[in-house]
Amino acid sequence: MSRIEVLQERRLASPPQGAVRNEQSAPNNQYKAVQNLNVALIVELDSEGERLMRELQRLRCTVRHIWPVPVQLPENYDVVYCTLMEDLPRRIPWLPGEPSTTLILVDRGQDTLNLKLINNCAAHGMIHYPPTARSTIGALAMAREHFLYEQRLRGRIEKLDENLRTMRVVEKAKSIVMRTKSLGEDDAYNFLRSQAMERRVTIGVIAKAVVESFDLLN
Amino acid sequence: MIKPTDTSEPWRVGVLFSRTGFMSVIEETQLRGTLLAIDQINDSGGINGRPLEPVIYDPGSDTRSYGQLAKRLMVVDEVSTIFGCYTSASRKSVLPVVERLNGLLWYPTLYEGFEFSPNVIYTGATPNQNSMQLCSLLMKLYGDRFFFIGSDYIYPRESNRIMREMVARSGGSVVGERYVRLGASRLEFEPIMQEIKLAKPDVIFSTVVGDGTVFLYQAYSDKGFDPKKMPIASLTTCEAEIAAMGHDVGEGHLTAAPYFQGIGNNQNSEFVKSYQKRYGDDAPTNMCLESSYFQVNVFAKTLERANSLETPVLRAMVMGSEFEAPQGAVSINPNWAHADLWSRVGRANRNGQFDILFESRTTVKADPFLIGSGRCTVAAAAV
Repeated sequence: MSRIEVLQERRLASPPQGAVRNEQSAPNNQYKAVQNLNVALIVELDSEGERLMRELQRLRCTVRHIWPVPVQLPENYDVVYCTLMEDLPRRIPWLPGEPSTTLILVDRGQDTLNLKLINNCAAHGMIHYPPTARSTIGALAMAREHFLYEQRLRGRIEKLDENLRTMRVVEKAKSIVMRTKSLGEDDAYNFLRSQAMERRVTIGVIAKAVVESFDLLN
Repeated sequence: MIKPTDTSEPWRVGVLFSRTGFMSVIEETQLRGTLLAIDQINDSGGINGRPLEPVIYDPGSDTRSYGQLAKRLMVVDEVSTIFGCYTSASRKSVLPVVERLNGLLWYPTLYEGFEFSPNVIYTGATPNQNSMQLCSLLMKLYGDRFFFIGSDYIYPRESNRIMREMVARSGGSVVGERYVRLGASRLEFEPIMQEIKLAKPDVIFSTVVGDGTVFLYQAYSDKGFDPKKMPIASLTTCEAEIAAMGHDVGEGHLTAAPYFQGIGNNQNSEFVKSYQKRYGDDAPTNMCLESSYFQVNVFAKTLERANSLETPVLRAMVMGSEFEAPQGAVSINPNWAHADLWSRVGRANRNGQFDILFESRTTVKADPFLIGSGRCTVAAAAV
């Protein structure tokens, strides 16, 4: 029987306790954001590693232990914990700024902290051994928050870029609608927007269609 | 890190241009322009007594490689300043890397505008510095029926969108629009030539880049079309592509650019002379080579004052800085971190050089979001 399975049995045997013990009584289930996550744990399973795994399992996370550190970190997890090492940036398959998963660095507390290395990993959080229940939950919550916030911001920038490009077409389409349907500015815009919503496409697509068909008919 | 000034350790900078693959014709010249500038700076003693040391990688015209090599430059080689990229796709691949790790990309290529990144200095032309002037000149000299042909990626589609607006606003029309894939073969241009024959436009506006450029002009020539009546007009076809397709094939076609080898001024003669001394008497210069060259010089002048490669320091100090480039005096516009450049339209002659048909009186301010664009007939009134 492998070590992981032993640990999983142990997890079944011991009910959640410690920092999450009040979870049932928390009115809005404040731990929800850090629970039931799919976690890859890439650390050596020494006593500290085992302790970290236990803390994660207490949060009802599905933990997959991977060791030694693979050439490429896996991408299909909600969170990847990885022990901090000199060539870690090279093992991260995604580009800095385009992360596909939350990355939390595990500092074993042995050498001097290499801030340049930490910067190059472009991670979302870091924990230091020994892992306590409080710091594990705190770091995980912060890292998830940062990762998800980064995703939302990137989405917003993409949308803004797209809007910038379509704005000019929308302006033109608006003036066409104003002229051909004798509408005011706001009504013309609302007309375009409702057409877009009805057809489940962006306002840019509708605006482009209006402008192009207008060009064609004239 | 700011190093003590008494060191003679080199300043390391990254260089990312493709020497292989379908973008190599033009990117090889950008690499040469970069290295020429670096060598000249080093020959005259470096910057504050320290030489520039380029770390060079070849992304092989593969978009994803640009991002990965940018990461390698920043993480493994510990470089924070990168000179590189031709296509918008490759720039967008490098963007997240320099933004997250806070590097500075110097981008020496014309592009479609509508971008601003705190981690990029743009030194090529945006549409208000080339498309507008080209559009009005074409309407005046040839007519108002346009046929668009481009490579299928961001830059051509966006340029054509902008051009379409300008043409429409000036009372012209677009009678056809076709795209070929990046790295298209010679054969793929044949059916489009047939279509052009039927559509009978006054002008073919091309945003084809890479090897496809040569195929397009050669297919046009094979079809027996006359550039005097229906020229190909482009923002990207420069001396390098004309040399690759053959001078006779390129003759009579138009290009808008901030720089042509044929412009007459002292900086340019010096520049052409030192370039040809190094790469051969028959090696032509071009706009992308020129911006690659001048941006390294702008960087060097800034580094001399900053004495630091840290992005926030460099970036703050480069804003508003000026340089006597081969195209004329240029400056980095502090509003947008884009360069204020000269606007010119040239027509290729039998020698593979461009005769200048239009030249702006001063530099044209960069306006990447086309906030101040009016009808394009106004812009080139001075022709």
